[in-house]
Amino acid sequence: MTDTDQTTPPQEAEPNKPVALNANDPLGEVWVFCELQEGKVQTVGLELLGAGRQLADKLDRPLAAVVLGHNLGEIPRQLIHHGADKVYKADHPDLAEYRTLPFRRVLCDFMGQQAIPPHSMLLGSTTTGRDLAPRIAAHFQTGLTADTTELDIGPYDHKGGSDASKIGLYENCLYAIRPSFGESLKARILGPWKNPQMATTRPGVMIPLDPDPSRTGEVVDMPVHLQPADFRLTIAETVREATAGVDFDNADVIVAGGYGLANADGFALMKELADCFENGTVGASRKAVDLGWIPYVHQVGQTGKTVRPKIYIACGISGAIQHRVGMQNSGLIIAINKDPDAPIFKFADHGIVGDLYQVVPEMIKQIKSSKGSKEVSSVGV
Amino acid sequence: MTNSAVKDVFVMIKQVPDTRSKAGLNPDGTINRAQAKRMLNPFDEYALQAALNVKKQTGCRVTAITMGPPPAIEILYTALEHGADRCYLLSDRRLAASDTLATAFALWKTIEHLNGFQMIFCGLQTTDGDTAQVGPQLAERLNLPQVTYCEDFEVVGDKLHARRVVEGGWQRVVSELPVMVTVANSYHPLEFKSLRGARMVQELMRNEALRSQYITTVDLDVVGADPDLTGLKGSPTIVAKTDKVGSIGGNCAMHQGQAVEALVREVTLQTNLLEFAS
Repeated sequence: MTDTDQTTPPQEAEPNKPVALNANDPLGEVWVFCELQEGKVQTVGLELLGAGRQLADKLDRPLAAVVLGHNLGEIPRQLIHHGADKVYKADHPDLAEYRTLPFRRVLCDFMGQQAIPPHSMLLGSTTTGRDLAPRIAAHFQTGLTADTTELDIGPYDHKGGSDASKIGLYENCLYAIRPSFGESLKARILGPWKNPQMATTRPGVMIPLDPDPSRTGEVVDMPVHLQPADFRLTIAETVREATAGVDFDNADVIVAGGYGLANADGFALMKELADCFENGTVGASRKAVDLGWIPYVHQVGQTGKTVRPKIYIACGISGAIQHRVGMQNSGLIIAINKDPDAPIFKFADHGIVGDLYQVVPEMIKQIKSSKGSKEVSSVGV
Repeated sequence: MTNSAVKDVFVMIKQVPDTRSKAGLNPDGTINRAQAKRMLNPFDEYALQAALNVKKQTGCRVTAITMGPPPAIEILYTALEHGADRCYLLSDRRLAASDTLATAFALWKTIEHLNGFQMIFCGLQTTDGDTAQVGPQLAERLNLPQVTYCEDFEVVGDKLHARRVVEGGWQRVVSELPVMVTVANSYHPLEFKSLRGARMVQELMRNEALRSQYITTVDLDVVGADPDLTGLKGSPTIVAKTDKVGSIGGNCAMHQGQAVEALVREVTLQTNLLEFAS
């Protein structure tokens, strides 16, 4: 069987038990789930350690990195160098690749055994984090906020509502801040009544700490007691084809198209402009993806990728908050839109008011004709 | 066909404000929910098509389930027009202000109230909540395996063979039934409604007795859900504060009112764009 540790019996945490009310109870730790891909820590995990470090310091509690995988080697040390005080690790052949049920089993068992549950738990808004976080939240019946863009710790005075048992002043709440639906609003979501207070955060939003090799920390093994029911799903094959088209992380320039393209053919023009650059790639707004003009892997924004290129060229994109949170950290934003009142002009650095089907070809022309003079100008720089 | 392992498929759908139309949008971009038009959550169209494709393959029964105020019946009509066999509307004032956990609890109780299923389909996420949480939360309550971000699948014997989106690529998985699946928007779009379905819906909109054969409205008492575990009371999270963000910025250098060539020239001269040319 898959049990590696026979000393402690498998223990199913009681789902209906309130984990803690933090008005009076001792404060728990801050946990950050650090996901691996092909045995490597994903950047989002290091970014979350950066964010988690600030929360843990405000709470004056330890920051723990949680990592599951196989042949972890130096990974726990890497996580400590990036800010973790503790690493909870599970190293087991059945955890080599992420699967919902085995990961959920190990995490829920371990969290359920804590005398003091974690104060908060952060996961990346990735296909893994968004798959796993709701399972844990539902298991412990605790609050979970999706796709946060800011995190903080602060007080909350709950004065009323239909449930008198919730009234009170709560210190040290997790402020989970995210854009709210179709509105130019940011919502602060709180759930101080039960720990852990959980949130997922999009990759690229938080800033990782510079690794400090002098940092030390404690590494704790999480018991692995998998059960036959945890193997109801098997992975036949995983194919990563990031190099075959969309590589946002290494792109200097992203040319993104939106609803203003008016049709799928517009993306050929986006590609033509992107190809004018040494490291250019094509992005898209959610609307363009929803309309089937371009595959989902190109989507930038709250429900797509968060990107930080040196230059972001937004063509026919209105600039809804959901798109903005995915690209606002770009070095320079150039927006092209027919509508001078488009929200994107509120946060772009340069705005061209005009028909993108005239502006973009002209831009291509000027970039191409600049090539001859490029060497000359770069000598002077 | 009839001896397939799949006899009953549930599809969970939601009515959301229609952001594709200008109606109900305030000038500042906020939503006036009272005036907003309503629509089937666009992501749920893929889930509905997924359920209907299983029906085509196996001859199973498709049950569409929604939770919402009485007008949510509109999306159940849509499901019937496209070929769903029966619908459930969970409607109860005590459900107001449910967060994802409280929603998943109420839907779990509704599913338990119905007889068994082999597959549950959910949309990847909703356009009004954007969380992608309710499907997995429901799967946790039902103790099911799950395939999230599913972009294609096939029922093979008593197993689901599925392809799901992962960062930078895709993954093929095989799951036992029963299973919960959230369907990505790279799956097949919803097909046109059938003429037969459209006629039937026209008929049952007029005929209450006929309507009740296809659409059952239930409340928390009927499904045996503790009202303290749903609605505002059963929600572990609340929205404590909202901030306007639209007014930030305003430092954009605007280029307009000239020939296109001059506009582009200004931008290429004032930025480092040309430095990145290949």
